[in-house]
Amino acid sequence: MKNALYLACMSLLWHRGRSITILLSLAITIWMPITVRMVLDQFRREISERANATPLVLGARGSRIDLALHALYFETLPPADTSMKEIETIDELAVSNAAAISIPLHIRYRTQSRPGIEGAVIVGTSPEYFDFRRLQLADGRMISLLGECVAGSNVAQRMQLRPGDSLLSAPRNAFNLAGDYPLKMNVVGILKSSHSPDDDAVFTDVQTTWVIDGIGHGHQELNSQTDPSLLLKNNTETGSITTSAAVLPYTEITPENIDSFHFHGEPSTFPLTGIIVVPETDKARTQILGRYSSSQATAQCLKPPEVIDELLSLVFRIEQLAWVCSIAAAVVTLLLLGLVVNLSMQLRATEMQTMFRLGCSRATIAMLHGSEILLLLCGASILATAAALLSLRFAASVLRSLLF
Amino acid sequence: MISISQLTFTYGDGTFRLRIPQLALQSGESAVIVGPSGSGKTTLLNLIAGILSGCKGEITVGSTNVHRLNDNERRLFRLQNVGQVFQDFQLIDYLSVLDNVLLPCRIHPSVSVTKPLRERACLLLNSLEMSQFKRRSVTRLSQGERQRVAICRALLLSPQIVLADEPTGNLDPANAERIVQLLLTETERSGATLMMVTHDHSLLRHFDHVIPFDQFLERTLNADSPEGDA
Repeated sequence: MKNALYLACMSLLWHRGRSITILLSLAITIWMPITVRMVLDQFRREISERANATPLVLGARGSRIDLALHALYFETLPPADTSMKEIETIDELAVSNAAAISIPLHIRYRTQSRPGIEGAVIVGTSPEYFDFRRLQLADGRMISLLGECVAGSNVAQRMQLRPGDSLLSAPRNAFNLAGDYPLKMNVVGILKSSHSPDDDAVFTDVQTTWVIDGIGHGHQELNSQTDPSLLLKNNTETGSITTSAAVLPYTEITPENIDSFHFHGEPSTFPLTGIIVVPETDKARTQILGRYSSSQATAQCLKPPEVIDELLSLVFRIEQLAWVCSIAAAVVTLLLLGLVVNLSMQLRATEMQTMFRLGCSRATIAMLHGSEILLLLCGASILATAAALLSLRFAASVLRSLLF
Repeated sequence: MISISQLTFTYGDGTFRLRIPQLALQSGESAVIVGPSGSGKTTLLNLIAGILSGCKGEITVGSTNVHRLNDNERRLFRLQNVGQVFQDFQLIDYLSVLDNVLLPCRIHPSVSVTKPLRERACLLLNSLEMSQFKRRSVTRLSQGERQRVAICRALLLSPQIVLADEPTGNLDPANAERIVQLLLTETERSGATLMMVTHDHSLLRHFDHVIPFDQFLERTLNADSPEGDA
């Protein structure tokens, strides 16, 4: 066998062009189904793990899949905003023995892109989110003040961020002269990699995202002493002042100006794009689901695993299609391989004749051919496995972006 | 020892018949076969080596009656007892000079490529001034150099008989002399019987026996020989 392998190696090296062609054809034929299986398995695992780890998601009524993907992966936008009122509702239920933790999500903005570096999604949430997702700091500290943020590991790596750096939010509409100023956020921490979408996000307090949204702002102190040209109305009886648009809001929250930041409006109406609800008991879960099952309810409450299963049925159909393509490709490759081997044997008839005339057995000649095929199959398998592992690094995220 | 008795071999269409009533060579003897093209010289070598079968009469090498062996036994007999130098060299293009010489070991069921065998291969190549080419591909050799590699391959396992089909056909007179001397020296050293086909009458003087071959050939029709004899 050793000699047959040696002769096979020499033959394959000599016929390099043919060997490489066959090797690549076989490798691709093996790579395709392996990769499809591995990528889809990883995709299923990843997507299911996160969904299974998220008990309930609450949000505006509309597409269930959009809401689930938004709350789990920060992809897509929900059909409409929900509000802080729903948090209050959950808290009220909690008070009446249905204990549950509600984690607000306000995910509408991205950080500004840099040349060659795409901006990251800004997730406005509460400190409970970090405990819930078991996110840990790799460097720096957690957010504690308005205008602070922590960056996911991929974002930090991509943008080369360190605690002490700053990030600018990207205005939603650059032509909106009345607002949407970019906010400069201070990076106070970098998260450890969690191999999840959290690695690709920048986290800040939900109030900071409301500042980005224009609901809250800070500006110079306005009173009777203020330059009259900035005041449109000054009611000395009630003390209320109406200013002109010339009063610019602060675009950075600093220790000096943080006290000037304030929010206009009723807090219960402040927008959220979703709420993660973590019931502490089955009873609480049932009560919350019951509360939002009514067709009259203003919001919907989802069980993410159920929604993700619906999505995975689509993936399963893609897998079936990929399998059919793989089988067709394998059949074509094997037919071509048979043709190549047959033609090769004809071309090498003289060589085989020499072997025979020297006294080589037919079994040895067959072993020689077999060794060549074995070496090609081994080489192709190694190549296909390496390519599959490489594909696995990127394909799951590509597939996610294609599907969402 | 090679002993042939009442040998008759006919090609399928009956146009060519080789008939050898008696021929005997002792161990260590050398014989050269001369004769016109198509007289059956290569056919005889192939019959002795067991490559061709289906003859009448007896061919005995040592104590083995070659044509009483089955296919597998003849193949093994050939590998273990016969060193062959073919008319068209029949070297393997994808192997180096050294690997071509070592080929009989690589296809042998019980012999492996050992250091002594490598050394012997190098020694044989050296004796034919081919050692500097041992790593070279045989496709980059001249006809004469290829011929010499084929001879080294035939002699590697010190066979009982050496059958050489025009081994000097592509060589200049000086190299032809050297080849013949090498074949004779090596076969003499190992006590092997050498049977060589040649058209070069200047080489006949080196051999113990000269076998003029035209006497053995019978043709029933005026047709060309079906074999590629020179």
